[in-house]
Amino acid sequence: MTDAMTPGPTSEDPVLAATGSVPNGPGEPPALDATHHASALLRVSDVRKVYGEGHTEVVAVADATMAVDQGEFVALLGPSGSGKTTLISIVGGLLSPSGGTVTLGGSDVTGLSKKDLTAFRAERVGFVFQSANLVPFLTARENLLYVASLVKGTSRAQAQARADGLLEELGLGARAKNLPEQLSGGERQRVAIGRALMNDPDLVLVDEPTAALDTAMGRQVVELLRREIKGRGKTGIMVTHDLRMVEYTDRVFEILDGHLTHVEEPSALRH
Amino acid sequence: MMLAIREIQRGKGRFATIVAALSLIVFLVLVLGALADGLFYGATGAVRSTSAAAYVFSGDAEGSLVRSRLDESDVAAVAAAPGVEQAGPVGVLLTGGAGPQGPVDLAVFGIEPGSAGTPTTLVEGRLPEAGEAGAAAADTRLRDDGVAVGSTIAVGGIPATIVGFVADSSYQLQPTLWTSVGTWREMRDAVRPELRGQPTAISAIAVVAPASTDLAQIAAAVTGATALSAEQTGLAIPGVEQQSSTLNSIIYTTLAVAGLVVALFFALLVLEKRELFAALKALGSSTGRLGRGVILQAAIASVLGVVLGALLARLFGLVIPPEVPTLFRTDTLVTIAIFTLVAGVVGALFSLRRIARIDPATAIGGAL
Ligand SMILES: Nc1ncnc2c1ncn2[C@@H]1O[C@H](COP(=O)(O)OP(=O)(O)OP(=O)(O)O)[C@@H](O)[C@H]1O
Ligand SMILES: [Mg+2]
Repeated sequence: MTDAMTPGPTSEDPVLAATGSVPNGPGEPPALDATHHASALLRVSDVRKVYGEGHTEVVAVADATMAVDQGEFVALLGPSGSGKTTLISIVGGLLSPSGGTVTLGGSDVTGLSKKDLTAFRAERVGFVFQSANLVPFLTARENLLYVASLVKGTSRAQAQARADGLLEELGLGARAKNLPEQLSGGERQRVAIGRALMNDPDLVLVDEPTAALDTAMGRQVVELLRREIKGRGKTGIMVTHDLRMVEYTDRVFEILDGHLTHVEEPSALRH
Repeated sequence: MMLAIREIQRGKGRFATIVAALSLIVFLVLVLGALADGLFYGATGAVRSTSAAAYVFSGDAEGSLVRSRLDESDVAAVAAAPGVEQAGPVGVLLTGGAGPQGPVDLAVFGIEPGSAGTPTTLVEGRLPEAGEAGAAAADTRLRDDGVAVGSTIAVGGIPATIVGFVADSSYQLQPTLWTSVGTWREMRDAVRPELRGQPTAISAIAVVAPASTDLAQIAAAVTGATALSAEQTGLAIPGVEQQSSTLNSIIYTTLAVAGLVVALFFALLVLEKRELFAALKALGSSTGRLGRGVILQAAIASVLGVVLGALLARLFGLVIPPEVPTLFRTDTLVTIAIFTLVAGVVGALFSLRRIARIDPATAIGGAL
């Protein structure tokens, strides 16, 4: 796994730029080793996750080590059941690993209590789920304000200004007062992106955001996601099945049977 | 909290269901409560609305004023008993009389005005004065029969002029007439010829004494007598205690059902929102925050249920025929409102465990 590592935040990637596969922002050549990569914001070290015990034991993540810099948007690819969701759930503080550590900005996530994990998710992580999972009885704007209310000490006026700004930026200015049922799938996913960014998180985790969308809509959503994440200097990890979405990311990690590797050329996955 | 309130605002139909169910339950309980209070107050008014703290009965009376037989000479003995501040004769006669608009049911109370057993709930006119014969204060319920100050009510041909009205003084659901012992005895002799020739007989002796007084010592003043506090005397009236306990157990069972209804409703609601709650937990909402929302919703539903149920019950009270003894009391309403609120909140508490068990990890991926 020592070669599956992160680049520094320079801006030239001869390999990917040459292939033209990353039109929106060239990624970096892989660094040699995460442990040598001192500036990484997110560091996943030797993470392992085993479900069940004895003969029902399932090793969902066998060995995952990765480092992602601030401002990077990376893709996590892999066949069904390979452990993608499990890995980003651990990274986002939704699951505790059976072994290994996750640090975000130098602080250890794996050591947090249940209560601290709840606050950690509210303040430092933004999730975009496969289906938008918006609160059905709150308007687009209220969905954003709700997550702001989860963080202690946010002023209402500030939250409102931020929600309005985000919705405007996501092209939802005119939809702010609509309930989710009155929005299209793509619009809902955009609201979910706004919600993920609402509390100004360090990390944005996205699990198959395009699964419920057609290709054109999917591209639009991922493009927007990239723009927001890069523009705000956030760190993003997107789980996807869809190789066409990989071009919007800086780098690609692949997970196979629980083993995580950094890959230079995702086209190798094409069948 | 915004979440809980918005859910009610945007899903009014669903909350209308639980509010409607709760208001019907509260309505039922309040009507039962009014009936229980009506029966109790109507049966016991005459022993609650006087100066007497206790009554002395003959031994065979089993606490019944109507069945008791004492003699006027016993009053002095009771008055001399330790702790007794005042003792007065009481004569009771359940009968019918002739009012200004026709026959009326009556409970005639013969008392010694100013002594123990004098009504304390005068609302109009005055009470008969000591030594005044042929005058009476009437229960306010007799106003419905056309009785007014100055009217005459005759019992067995013996007339009494109404000089005032007293409130809340029914006895065994019959309106009372408060007169002198002498007039009472004349009326008794007129309608119960078999009791004639007992010129010093009375029914019982009313006693004014501090609450701490030993009733057994008072009873000991008269051979074979018993003594009961005014409250016990009310409960000893045939049927009163049984009616109260039957109606009260129906009321409290129904309130427990209200708790169950709320518990089931919110359990279903939480079950339905499992996915949403998992997502909200993943976004950083705590079990406590989600639970408080559900409890707030239950409290709002209960308060609305109580308000609507109380309105319905009062409207129903307007159309209940006057023969049915009902009494809508504020204390009963407050008690029932508190019980409903508690039942609702306790019912919703059962959902907390369910919310706590929702795993935020199930929110992500959609495949789990
Ligand atoms: N709660 C669980 N209990 C037991 N096994 C689980 C649990 N969650 C996941 N697994 C197993 O762990 C493995 C990895 O699952 P995971 O959901 O991470 O895969 P994935 O890569 O996200 O798949 P997909 O692309 O289908 O979403 C699978 O074999 C799965 O059956
Ligand atoms: Mg998955």
